[in-house]
Amino acid sequence: MTLLRRRPATGSVPGRGGGPVAAEVKWAWLFLAPTLIGLAILSAGPILATLGISLTEWDLLRAPEWVGLDNFGALVGDGRFLVALRNTTFYTVVSVPLGMVLALGLALALNQGLRGISWIRTSYFLPVVTSATAVGLVWAWIYAPSGGILNQVLVFLGLPPQKWISDPFWAMPSIILMSTWQGLGTSVIIFLAGLQGIPQEYHDAASVDGAGRWARLRNVTLPLLTPSIFFTGILSLIGAFQIFDQVYVLARPGKPTDATVTLVYFIYENGFKNFKMGYAAAASWILFLIVAVLTWVYFRSQRRWVHYQ
Amino acid sequence: MTAPTLAAPAARSRRPLRVRALRVSRRGLLYAVLIAGGLLMMVPFFWMIVTSLKTRAEVFGSSPLSLPSGAHFENYANMWNAFPQGVTFGTFFGNSLKLALLCTAGQLVTSSMAAYAFAVIPFRGRGPLFGILLATLIIPVQVVLVPNFVLYRSLPHPFSASGNWIGTQEPLWVGAWLGGAFGTFLLRQFFLAIPRELADAARVDGANPWQIFTRIYVPLARPALATLAIFTFMWTWNDLLSPLIYLSALDQYTTTVGLAFFKGQFIGKWPEMMAGGLVSLLPMIILFVVAQKYFVRGIALSGLKG
Repeated sequence: MTLLRRRPATGSVPGRGGGPVAAEVKWAWLFLAPTLIGLAILSAGPILATLGISLTEWDLLRAPEWVGLDNFGALVGDGRFLVALRNTTFYTVVSVPLGMVLALGLALALNQGLRGISWIRTSYFLPVVTSATAVGLVWAWIYAPSGGILNQVLVFLGLPPQKWISDPFWAMPSIILMSTWQGLGTSVIIFLAGLQGIPQEYHDAASVDGAGRWARLRNVTLPLLTPSIFFTGILSLIGAFQIFDQVYVLARPGKPTDATVTLVYFIYENGFKNFKMGYAAAASWILFLIVAVLTWVYFRSQRRWVHYQ
Repeated sequence: MTAPTLAAPAARSRRPLRVRALRVSRRGLLYAVLIAGGLLMMVPFFWMIVTSLKTRAEVFGSSPLSLPSGAHFENYANMWNAFPQGVTFGTFFGNSLKLALLCTAGQLVTSSMAAYAFAVIPFRGRGPLFGILLATLIIPVQVVLVPNFVLYRSLPHPFSASGNWIGTQEPLWVGAWLGGAFGTFLLRQFFLAIPRELADAARVDGANPWQIFTRIYVPLARPALATLAIFTFMWTWNDLLSPLIYLSALDQYTTTVGLAFFKGQFIGKWPEMMAGGLVSLLPMIILFVVAQKYFVRGIALSGLKG
């Protein structure tokens, strides 16, 4: 959790200037060598490289050709890109609040100190460790138009069956349902850790002052849980913009219809199926900018609603 | 302040029975909701197991709630041997295992080294460098896919058909030996909590930083190392996008790419698909059951998942 706080002493140097420790400074670079290489060539450096490549037209066969901002101009006019942007936004706007509200309710319920619930807890956590590919197979089967459990239930209830993943209207909600099922446990665990960090005295003091259950939740628990809510929010937000595996697995065979193509799928499709490296890099940069701006705005908002104890 | 404090005991003494009844029913309701929700969460797994044991006729012919007529384990055998060119599902399984272990080892070694430098050695520029490393945590990996692909494409490879690293498994694990923001952050927090007197004492005895690191810090950080190991293993095991991009030959596929390939090839063969999915889930489920404590701790601390 410290990760997202501003204050912790990331830069503070243990004040022991001189002496044996100072002699160890040259060792630091030895310990850091692999990490520095990784930063330069695999993570931080490539952000700039992506920008450079995005200004070229490059199919990997011929030399890259400088095209300036043409790729960005083309993206703005590319229907599939705009659809990908809209789908990813829809996915994020629905799945992030949905997942957080469900997880918050669940964490509050699981935190009531009921006995014999450890197995229930486990059943909420288990999907988190599974791969979207493997569980995507069973979700594809759940959503299967013929024989799938969802349609069988609908027919049993006298409702019309749906085509789910291949239906433009239901495709994205189907993906959202699966992702929510899979990701719920992560947020629940963070909320539970946050709840267990709230000192019992605060609840006791509020009770003594006559606060009822609801008032305690509103005025004690939720404010003190805002760091966890903030933390879960940022993770869900960044994660939502990266949605790919579910789309790839559920929408196979064949390309995802326009209803489920997402930003990352668009990048994958252009970069690694069509080998339009410049175009894919430009889309990557837009993804990066969106995530960076959202993260920045979100961090700025923290002052207004997040309370640290 | 005084009024409610005085009023509260009076109010409480007036209605003890009703309050108790209310609490019991609320508790019962809570149990019911939690259990129903927990069962609902398990439905996909149940259905996966049940379907994997049914015949094709049973899958389409009978009600979804019906149990299989017998345990049709031949679905597992069919799934295992469903691939051409002498490749079995075991090939994918072995590849995933190899990559997950290589990545885990790489992350443990290089992240802990960096964490030691950040936690213990007061070098110049430590704060800003750590800040840059942390900032990479929010960069979606997909953003750097293109330059990474270009980089690996420019590296020569003696045994690959393309002559470079594309089409080999190397891009899937070599990067894990070049540090990682998550592991470095996690282990640095842990190292900071280790009393400095231990290192000072070793220093007086003439130990160099490498010895202090390997003999004092690494052994004491075992719980944090276990958490990092489990998470790295899970991420590598579950990864789909990178293997999809870098691998081209069937005999190099990981379980995730193998399953996706399988789904594209064997349309409607649900029992076999469920069998494959279950087999690929098995290591993660076992790891989760054995090490749930570390999973929960790791998520609570970092919130990072696949």
